[in-house]
Amino acid sequence: MDYIITTKQLTKKYKNFTSVNNVSIHVRRGSIYGFLGPNGAGKSTTMKMLLGLTAPTKGRFTIDGKQFPGDRLKILREIGSFIEAPSFYANLTGRENLDVIRRILGLRKNTVEDALELVGLSEFGDRLAKKYSLGMKQRLGLAGALLGRPPILILDEPTNGLDPSGIHEIRNLVKSLPDLYDCTILISSHMLSEIELMADDIGILNHGRLLFEGSLDDLRHSTRQAKMSADNLEDVFLSIVEQDNAARKQRAKL
Amino acid sequence: MRALVIELRKEKRTGIIPLLPAVGILGAAYAFVNFLVRKDTLLGLPLAPMDVLLTQLYGMIMILNLFGIVVAACMVFHLEFKGSAIKKMYMLPMSVPGMYLCKFLILTVMLFVAVTLENLALMKIGQNCLPQGTFEMGTLLRFTAYSFLTSMPVLSFMVLISSRFENMWIPLGVGVAGFLSGMALAPSAAAVLMVHPFIVMFKPAVAMSAQPDMLVVIFAQIETLLFLGLGLWMAKNLRYE
Repeated sequence: MDYIITTKQLTKKYKNFTSVNNVSIHVRRGSIYGFLGPNGAGKSTTMKMLLGLTAPTKGRFTIDGKQFPGDRLKILREIGSFIEAPSFYANLTGRENLDVIRRILGLRKNTVEDALELVGLSEFGDRLAKKYSLGMKQRLGLAGALLGRPPILILDEPTNGLDPSGIHEIRNLVKSLPDLYDCTILISSHMLSEIELMADDIGILNHGRLLFEGSLDDLRHSTRQAKMSADNLEDVFLSIVEQDNAARKQRAKL
Repeated sequence: MRALVIELRKEKRTGIIPLLPAVGILGAAYAFVNFLVRKDTLLGLPLAPMDVLLTQLYGMIMILNLFGIVVAACMVFHLEFKGSAIKKMYMLPMSVPGMYLCKFLILTVMLFVAVTLENLALMKIGQNCLPQGTFEMGTLLRFTAYSFLTSMPVLSFMVLISSRFENMWIPLGVGVAGFLSGMALAPSAAAVLMVHPFIVMFKPAVAMSAQPDMLVVIFAQIETLLFLGLGLWMAKNLRYE
């Protein structure tokens, strides 16, 4: 199998708290990988480690055959990212914000318009970013990630703060990207219903541990084997997490 | 060069670029007005005319420069923290220490512009208002370099502090505390106190002679490089969390 992102026993500890615990994920080239887990499961921390925003306590990872920190610049050149909340210069317009990123990436001028158009922000490009609504800021963050159409996209809950039609629009956009140009997407969410509509493979994370990794069909299959209803995957996801939480409590009592 | 252009573009609409030149104009205006109003009193002091020109006006000019540096340094990183823009910078293939260095260089050039404007005013005053034949261009140039070099530790220190705190009030508070403690301790002759960057900046203002003190210059250069090196190291090694 051709994996573009692999992590091996990736761990992140903050003093006594383990945010990510021996996580080994495998993201296929050209696929959409949904990273699922309740709030605080360690999704964002894992993504931050992949982007070099925080250092792993243990374990390692490779992105397109490259490793941090030696290949930091090469890796970041291949990744478009959006982590937690949109990042922008409040004193600049949407277009100027993207132009700063474009200059850093050394891209052609027309890539800014392309990214604005992809997220539907073209007509608001000259408005100051600080005057954007939350949804528009979210789109601007996404446009920053899509600038230059990078081969790998790491998107952390990109539909946060969007209204239902915005969620639908961004979901369709994300879904269409691998067809639009050759890219791999690692996207996180705490809603299986959302990931279900986009992802080829999923990884379920709870309290820093990877509980499941595989395709949606694999998940359905293992659900049936566990004699659970596989009709509603949201319920499956919740029951997996609840089972893990119950096991954790049991372990804590012992 | 590309990083510098990007940095200048980021600073659009923030007022960072015109701030220090504006301080320079204010300092120059202060020097003109003060000398015009107090010319006889100042020239009546038991000091050489060049010492009067350079040391008696420098106190207020230095305070203006100091607050200009503190505010500009706070603003230069506040723009990165305000919309979490710095987080994006860490996720892009760019050198974060390079960005730090560009910010440092921009503020250094702007401070140099401010000091030049102020000293051009002093030159004009010296040429027109000092007794015939007492104006010395060499002394003025030496004092210009001296006042610039002794201001650099504060600039270097403030850029370092503002790069480490997301809340702009913290570096601003550090700047005000530095000013107050510097003002209180500057008259002391103890050389060890010059580890305090604000005291180094105060030294030319509390001296009665316009001749540069080499010990102060050495302290100034060491501190400037030390804080700059520390800032670059932190930008490289302390990741965004």
